[in-house]
Amino acid sequence: MSALSFEQAPPASVPLRFFVTAPFFGVAAGLVLSWNWQAVTGSRWAPEAVAVVHLLTVGFMLQVMAGALLQVMPVAVGANVSHPKLVATIVHPCLTLGGALLPLGFLGAGPLALRLAAVLLAIGVFTFVFVAGLALVRSPAMGPTLLVLRLAVVGLAIAAGLGLAVTSVFGFSLALPLGVLIDLHVAWASLGWALMLLMGVAYLVVPMFQLTPSYPVRTGRVLPALLVSALVAWTVAMTASVEWLAWLSTALGIAGVSGFAIVTLRLQSKRRRKVTDSTLWAWRIAMGCLLLAAVSEGVLRVLPTDEPLRARLEYLTGAALFAGAFPTAIAGMLSKIVGFLGWLHLQKVSTQAPTMQQVMPEVRARWHLRVSLVALAFILLATVWPVLAVPGGVLFAVASAGLGWSMALGLRTWRRHLTSQHA
Amino acid sequence: MSVTIDARGLLPPEPMERVLEALPTLARGDTLTLLLPREPFPLYAVLTREGFVWQTRLEPDGTYVITMRHA
Repeated sequence: MSALSFEQAPPASVPLRFFVTAPFFGVAAGLVLSWNWQAVTGSRWAPEAVAVVHLLTVGFMLQVMAGALLQVMPVAVGANVSHPKLVATIVHPCLTLGGALLPLGFLGAGPLALRLAAVLLAIGVFTFVFVAGLALVRSPAMGPTLLVLRLAVVGLAIAAGLGLAVTSVFGFSLALPLGVLIDLHVAWASLGWALMLLMGVAYLVVPMFQLTPSYPVRTGRVLPALLVSALVAWTVAMTASVEWLAWLSTALGIAGVSGFAIVTLRLQSKRRRKVTDSTLWAWRIAMGCLLLAAVSEGVLRVLPTDEPLRARLEYLTGAALFAGAFPTAIAGMLSKIVGFLGWLHLQKVSTQAPTMQQVMPEVRARWHLRVSLVALAFILLATVWPVLAVPGGVLFAVASAGLGWSMALGLRTWRRHLTSQHA
Repeated sequence: MSVTIDARGLLPPEPMERVLEALPTLARGDTLTLLLPREPFPLYAVLTREGFVWQTRLEPDGTYVITMRHA
């Protein structure tokens, strides 16, 4: 009974293909932001802003999140995905090509690019939703992590359906209520999918890698309930034009977002492990960005609709979420996940497997975090001085390239060890 | 006899390694209890393969209590 057994985990190639693709989208997002800084910082409705947001959310975040879920679900909640290699072979190219064509369509490549993107992303996302949903429904796990992961997959399905409807308006000239669809798509994609998944992953990895106390069970159920209530209220408010429900939704959403951030920061302050590594800081920065986005959204709710400051705050909320909270937490976890995958795979074939640290050294993760933090500071400050989005975007691209390079070096260490074993 | 491993302060894969060290020393009728901040599905696979049974309880503070014994 000496060797560790992780039969449930899929082959390493399943998540890795998603992980190594994602940084390319981060580089593209940074460069497009830098090149189109006036448009992106000027209005959330500018096509360039929509392109940057989707390079980050579909190109970077969805790639990593889909790959990570395929890897994590069997280990975290006993949800075994059937035929993971086949699923990855279908989902990965669809997300990659669709994720590239969608922003290209917004940047002027035309309706054909949007049509193709809609079809590819629909195939990729709904295949993933079906497979992940089936595995999660069959999971025997107890506790709030399973509940939150299930809700996240439902959130992804709704967000993708709404996104498809929005794309159909542009790509297929369908007569649908565009403004309502966009508001609902943004809410479901941000809170129902991305934040819900981040929450589910936090329940697992924050206590596991940072040795904090667990999220209390009741808190673990109340937080997603707040987000779901906010989304349902928002959906009714938007479709039936009920103003007081929109207010209630904003209050519930802010409570859910800031509650999650505060509980996580509080747990981190009680951690047993006194080592302060880059992953801990990445989560702290991500939680700070969530709080910033919550404050910005709260101020937006009370501002009059014709107030010029609104465009600034809408940029700030988006920047805090999509350039701050989500990519920072994701990149912080990636170095741990790739290091763990390397160790896990190599210890099966070798008695002298390199450690997680040797595959993904902390020093590289620290450098990546420093560059990301400076990029984020410039991008957030562009709320006040829009031209700072230029260096912010360039540094974001550099940080994304650094993340990709770091993973490439980790995989080289991995391959070298395998080669030396077989020699 | 009952042995308890509080693995809530241990980094992976140490909790699993501690349990794998303790299981062979477990006599019939004895129990091994593991405290962990997550449900250990990879461990369940090992327990099934090696002929052990287990019960899992979730405490309000989020701690999973896994009690293992020979089948």
